[in-house]
Amino acid sequence: MRRERVKLLLVADTPGHTTGYRIVARGLREGGIEVVLGGHQIPDRIAEMAVQEDVDWVGYRIMDGAPEILVPRLMEALQRRGAASIGVVVGGIVPPATVPLLTALGVRAVFPPGSSLPQIVRTLQSRPEPEAARGVSPETPASP
Amino acid sequence: MFHPDLLQALEQAKAEYDAKVAEILEAHGSPPPGLKTQSGLPFTRCYTPLDVAELDYLRDLGLPGQYPFTRGVHPTGYLTKEWTRRQVVGLGTAEETNQRLKALFREGQTGFSVCGMGYQSYDSDDERTVGQLGRGGVWIDTLADMETLLDGIEMERITLNQIGSSIPVFAMILAVANKRGIPWGQLKGTIQNWMEPGGEGPECRGNAFIDIVEFCIREMPFWNHTSISVRNTRDQGCTAPQEVAFGLYQGGYVVQSLRTRGFDADQVAPRISFFLSAENDLLEEVAKFRAMRRMWARLMRDRHGAKDPRAWKLRYHVQTSALSLTAQQPLVNVIRATVHAMAAALGGAQSMSVNSFDEAFAIPTELSATLSLRTQQVIAEESGVTKVLDPLGGSYCIEALTNQVEATAWSTLKALEAMEPKAAYRAMEEWADDEGYRRQQAIDRGEWPLIGVNRFVSDEGGEAGPSGSLPLFQYDPAWREKQIVRLQRVRRERDPARAEAARETLAEAYRKRENLIPPMVEAVSAYLSIGEIAKVRQEALDEPPFEGPFYFGR
Repeated sequence: MRRERVKLLLVADTPGHTTGYRIVARGLREGGIEVVLGGHQIPDRIAEMAVQEDVDWVGYRIMDGAPEILVPRLMEALQRRGAASIGVVVGGIVPPATVPLLTALGVRAVFPPGSSLPQIVRTLQSRPEPEAARGVSPETPASP
Repeated sequence: MFHPDLLQALEQAKAEYDAKVAEILEAHGSPPPGLKTQSGLPFTRCYTPLDVAELDYLRDLGLPGQYPFTRGVHPTGYLTKEWTRRQVVGLGTAEETNQRLKALFREGQTGFSVCGMGYQSYDSDDERTVGQLGRGGVWIDTLADMETLLDGIEMERITLNQIGSSIPVFAMILAVANKRGIPWGQLKGTIQNWMEPGGEGPECRGNAFIDIVEFCIREMPFWNHTSISVRNTRDQGCTAPQEVAFGLYQGGYVVQSLRTRGFDADQVAPRISFFLSAENDLLEEVAKFRAMRRMWARLMRDRHGAKDPRAWKLRYHVQTSALSLTAQQPLVNVIRATVHAMAAALGGAQSMSVNSFDEAFAIPTELSATLSLRTQQVIAEESGVTKVLDPLGGSYCIEALTNQVEATAWSTLKALEAMEPKAAYRAMEEWADDEGYRRQQAIDRGEWPLIGVNRFVSDEGGEAGPSGSLPLFQYDPAWREKQIVRLQRVRRERDPARAEAARETLAEAYRKRENLIPPMVEAVSAYLSIGEIAKVRQEALDEPPFEGPFYFGR
């Protein structure tokens, strides 16, 4: 049976400066989304938690880390677990030039500083569209 | 301060003025709005002596260098000692950070402040450093890194600020001084050490925060053993009066906790310093700094019984707000940071770090970091505001706001003091979160003006637009490989017998809950790495490993 509420795992790259992380968590909850707070984790562990928690979305807060290194590792770790259908969004300190790289990897949205809560909630209120609908083949995950 | 006849006549004049204002506003079709400061304090459009009628000049203000220090802690202020230019640095390995520090010193930086040192409890060869090492601060594994970091920097001639209170890193600074033959008692600096409840034994044994304070009181008279960072709580969203109240509460708690080890306020308070923010509302910010000075003096003298005037003086570093900077139209941040820095200068800061315009994207480039330093220099050397002590003092508005911030902060402080310390620390977190959330909602609704986000929004054209074409600091994944090679070499070349002995002595200190600093200095001098030291702690205390900002205490 499919649960009614959309479920999201919120994680961070490092423990410091969690203002955005906490504000977004609260905004999502008030927007009716079930939020699991995963704290700061390495990409492989994030994927493991996402599968365990059976979430629809992973929200990845990046501050001190390099998104161009960490996000590909997360996407690969999700695919390796057959969980590529879990939607990934990234928020935080992401240089503009890195955004196209993340979108090409299948990241559904990037929320830089200045993003509004309603905008974030709107994106995540419904389950991620299946990969096929977005013109990406979900059949064969890339080999690790 | 004012003659009753004047106040009476003024009341009449003010009533006429208010009626006139109401009339004009009505003609404009806008009802008189309920004015509020950024922190939500009620604000009047025109201040007069009526708003500060209760002010007693000598009791509430005094002269600079006189109790209660509202007008400054030093009689000559910036005339004899300007604030320290202390831009925060921390990138890549010790080598890159050392180069950046030297570049800034060449451009006129006068103090040292480094972030990232010992933030984690593992070494560079841990998989958790992938994509992380050196991107949000410098990476330090062993004393060899600290030697590189301080290479060519005359540590006895400047003030050193350690961000974070990692005990191994603090011990490394002391170990470098040892190697250079500089007595610890001559070193000047600050460790960003703030008290948290903990250490359940008698005398708070096993509380690393208190260990640091105790050690510094005994060995390092010029070292600020406590630097209470309410700046980061402000960046979490709390208000100006909360920033004041939270800082004062924590300062009082340090003094109170050190009593368990036999130290009184006169021994502890003179070396407590504060790490504060500066936000957009310039008038409120200036009032905040002034109110906090007055409150600290009264708190220390009247509540904690301090008799030494040095214990009454609130000294602080300001790092300008990051929460109010934007990724949109990033050059506008230069102007915001200038307003913040101006508030800090008008408020009488002892030390300053101005955030750079590109920090919503990456660690500052040399260019943007230098521009931040130039911001400080323009204010100090060109604007003229440093020629007068407390230049806004005596303004009806500033004095009234100072009183308002103070009154609000006292009531918050009282609420905190009525709680158990652990509950008070939780409450500060929760209240800051609540305010941060309210602030975000106000920004989303457009009630809180933010140029580029909810006002004067421009289509920046993505990558090709102004922010897309900014030259940003580039992360180099090769730093990690370089650092791991370095760590391996240190492990290979150190004296294994000395390392083993130091490991055992440190484990024993953990088990016996002795003051950790002396055995830690030996541990880092034997070139044990931070990851190895964390393991010693974990095994000695028989505790699971933990992550995060790492204090190496209990």
